[in-house]
Order: sequence, then structure tokens, then C-alpha cells
Amino acid sequence: MSDTAAPLAATPTFLQKHHFLLRRLHSLSGIVPVGVFVMMHLFTNFQLMVGDYQHEVEFIHSLPALFIIEVTLWGSIGFHAALGLVYTFTGKANVDRYAYQDNWRYTLQRITGILALIFIFLHIATLRWRWGFFGWFTPFFVAGPDGTPLVSATTANALQHSKLVLILYIVGVASVVYHWCNGLWTAAISWGLTITVAAQKRWGYVCATLGLVLAIFSAGSIVGAMTYKVSDAERAAMQAAIERHEQGLAPIEKSSEH
Amino acid sequence: MTATTQETRTILFKIKRQTEPNSAPFWEEYAVPYKENLNIISCLNWIAANPTTTSGVDSTPVAWDCNCLEEVCGACTMVINGRARQSCSALVDTLVKETGADTITLEPMSKFPLVRDLVVNRQRMFKELIRLKAWVPIDGTHALGGGPKESPEAQDTRYALSRCMTCGCCLEACPQFTIDNNFVGAQAISQARYFNMHKTGAVLADERMEELEGPGGITDCGNAQNCVKVCPKEIPLTESIAAIGRQATVHAIKSFFTGKK
Repeated sequence: MSDTAAPLAATPTFLQKHHFLLRRLHSLSGIVPVGVFVMMHLFTNFQLMVGDYQHEVEFIHSLPALFIIEVTLWGSIGFHAALGLVYTFTGKANVDRYAYQDNWRYTLQRITGILALIFIFLHIATLRWRWGFFGWFTPFFVAGPDGTPLVSATTANALQHSKLVLILYIVGVASVVYHWCNGLWTAAISWGLTITVAAQKRWGYVCATLGLVLAIFSAGSIVGAMTYKVSDAERAAMQAAIERHEQGLAPIEKSSEH
Repeated sequence: MTATTQETRTILFKIKRQTEPNSAPFWEEYAVPYKENLNIISCLNWIAANPTTTSGVDSTPVAWDCNCLEEVCGACTMVINGRARQSCSALVDTLVKETGADTITLEPMSKFPLVRDLVVNRQRMFKELIRLKAWVPIDGTHALGGGPKESPEAQDTRYALSRCMTCGCCLEACPQFTIDNNFVGAQAISQARYFNMHKTGAVLADERMEELEGPGGITDCGNAQNCVKVCPKEIPLTESIAAIGRQATVHAIKSFFTGKK
């Protein structure tokens, strides 16, 4: 065994050659666009409980070049996740020996990253791409073919579908919120914004408050989805929307109410 | 407590041993008579003189490394009760109070190549210091005059960083530093900051930053912050990591706009 660090190969790999840039882009992509998007997304969801959720979603669906925004987000999440997975397995957690709070925070960041990735994939695949998984096919529609608003109903239907889906959403959203807020805290150290212990503590309070607010928004959205009563008319409209989807026709992006 | 019970009280040492760098490790137990103010080194001395295990087997003396015996050289660092620290300054009375048991486990550090028993080869840390040019470059060919002026504030900060004894505790506790990767680790990062702060040492700052921006450099820190908690010299290692992070950010932006390669 050598007494020095592992030597680098004569021809550095792509990851080694652009090490610093990739690491910093990994950090940056977690903040912009992914983190910022997550905050807006969780705030939009909260309107399921208190606001005009239908209007919000129709507004988002009416954005120009929405597909480019979506592809940018999927690409950023994919980039952040792929490098994150590589980085996760370069370390070796040791909370069994060094059970400090910060060490738990470090370990949780890696666990929640993986949980968030699984959750985000299932979430986008089922609701956005309308894939069927394990008999769980609860597609998301803005409106039925007759213009019945379906944003709240199809969201509620997805979460009320089974206890497993509800648990997936609670664990998944909690992981996303933790990963985002802790990542924002550590990014400030990595980029060199917070240097002193006192500064790191102050920024820690900011990130913890943000996490708490996002957790409240998320809890509100989940409660909103779970308590929403899907009416018979909405059920019929959902069925009609599914039939239309199965025929390969484009989904309706605007309800008759807006 | 009577004098008789004090005489018969023993501290049980569970020691992870290994004869050769690549042989299989094994555990041995020794009962060391208790005395007040024992440190781990004095217990290891007693074991060296009486290498008989608790099961009555005549074994070989346990090998360990030590030098200064006052927590300034770092040579006697080992994993005591699961935590990296110096065996000279680890006191039996304190350890017993921590765990509430008369049992102490000793293991070699796991992040460095093992030599024998509790002795490891800490050479990698010194090679990391060479990699980061952790020195003040003076070639001694001409008189340089008086040293650079230093403010009391900078002196305070730099004095804290200068206390590093390259013991390896920060690396042993670090989840990002493994025996077979190329992360420079907290001690070398902190020394890079130390010499970047020195007016003459700063001449090499760009070279240090280029190395620190490469594989195994500053970005490999995962911010678990175990280093600062286990550091026996209370060096603000996490502040050093953040300070080097800022220097790397500035250096990379400058290189992006003005760099030649």
C-alpha cells in the first residue's frame, strides 16, 4: 500500500480535467434553476389549500416555450443528480463513530439526495409524462374534454390513490426541502460566502427558516390534496380525459372557468 | 474506597493489533492496574513490560508511536474509544468518566497505511503539504531585511492555524478522506490558507490555488465538519476551508477572464 494519495492517471479523465468547474456547476445547478424552481413549485402547490390552484396551473401551462423551460429543468436535475451520485460514493459516512449533528446533516444530505431523485422521477413520470407504474396510473389533467377544471381533482386523486403514494409524497417532499435548504447552507461555505463560524450560524438560521416555511407550504398542499373531495362530475371528466389521452389526443390546457 | 480495592482495580484495554501491514487484524485484551492520572502511553508502557493478555497468553509488546508526550508532535495519535486523539493527552480518568466503564479500546488510525499494531505511516499528510507548497519561499541567497509587517488581528488568526501538528485526527474523522482517494484534507487546506496569509508566502498563492482547484482539492470537502470537532489544537479548520473556498472562487473567476490556459 502506498503512503501517498491515489495518483492521477497520466491522461486525466473528463471529470478530473474539469474537476473544479463541474463541482461548482453542480453546486450552482442545485440553486439555479433547481432550488429556485422547487420553491416556486411548493408555493404554487400551497394554493391547493388556500388559493386559486386551477388559475395558477393554467397560467404556468400558458407560458410561452414551456417545453424549453421543462427540458432545462429536467437537464439541470439530471446533471445535478448524476454528479451528485458520483460525489456521494466518493465519501464514506461515519456517523456510527462521529455522531455529531453536522455529521448527521452531511449524511442526511446524501440520503435525501437519493430519495429526492427517486421521488422526482416517479412524480414527473406519473403526473407529467403520464406513465403507468405498478398499477399506479393517476394522470394529471388541467381540464376535462368538456372544460371541467381538473387540476385539484387529479392532484387529489393521485395522492388519495393509495397509502403508499401518500408516504412517497411525504418522504419525497421532506427530502427535497431538506436537501435544498441544507444545500443552500453548505453552498455558502463552498463558494466562500460564509467564512466565520458566526457567519455560518447566521446563514444557518436563514436556511432553517426557509426550510420551515417550505415544510409548512408542503404540509398544507398535502393536507389540501388529502382533504379534497373529488365530485362525481370531476370523476366523469377525469375518465373522459383519460379516454381522450388514450386516443392520443392532446390534453386540454384551459378550463371553461378561466 | 479502601486502599485494597484501589490496588486491585484494573482498566481493561481492548487493543486492535496487526503484525504486518497486510496481515489480518486481531484483538487482544490486557488488564492494567489502575493508578491516578494514568495516560494511555503509561498504560501501553505497562503492557510492553507485561505483555500477558487477560486470558493468560504470553503475547508480544504492543507497538505504538510517540515522541513529545505533550500533545505537540502528533506522533501518538490513535483511535481511542472510537475517536481519534493523542494517547499522551488521553487520560484514563477522563475516558472512564466519559464512558462510565473501566474499559478502553485502542485502534490504529484507519485512514493511513498500517505499519504494525497502533503504528501507522502518516507520510501522506506531509506529501499533501508539499503538493500545496505549504512553506514560505526564501532561497537564502541574499539578505531580505526585516519580515513583513503583521497586524495583531492577522497574527491572532495565523497563530491559531500555526498550531497544526499534522497529527491526522481531522482526516481520520473526515467522511470524505479515505485511505485510497486523493482528497488533500482539512490539515493541508488550513496550511494553504496559513501560507497564503503570509506576505511572502502569498507569492505561491496562485500555485496553491491551482492545485486546490484540481481533483482531490477544496471542492472535495463535503462540509461534514467533523475535522474541527476532533482537532486537538482547536484550529478553526472549517473557517479555513471556507476561506480557501472563497479564494478558489475569486481565483477561478480571475482565471476565466484573464487566464492564459
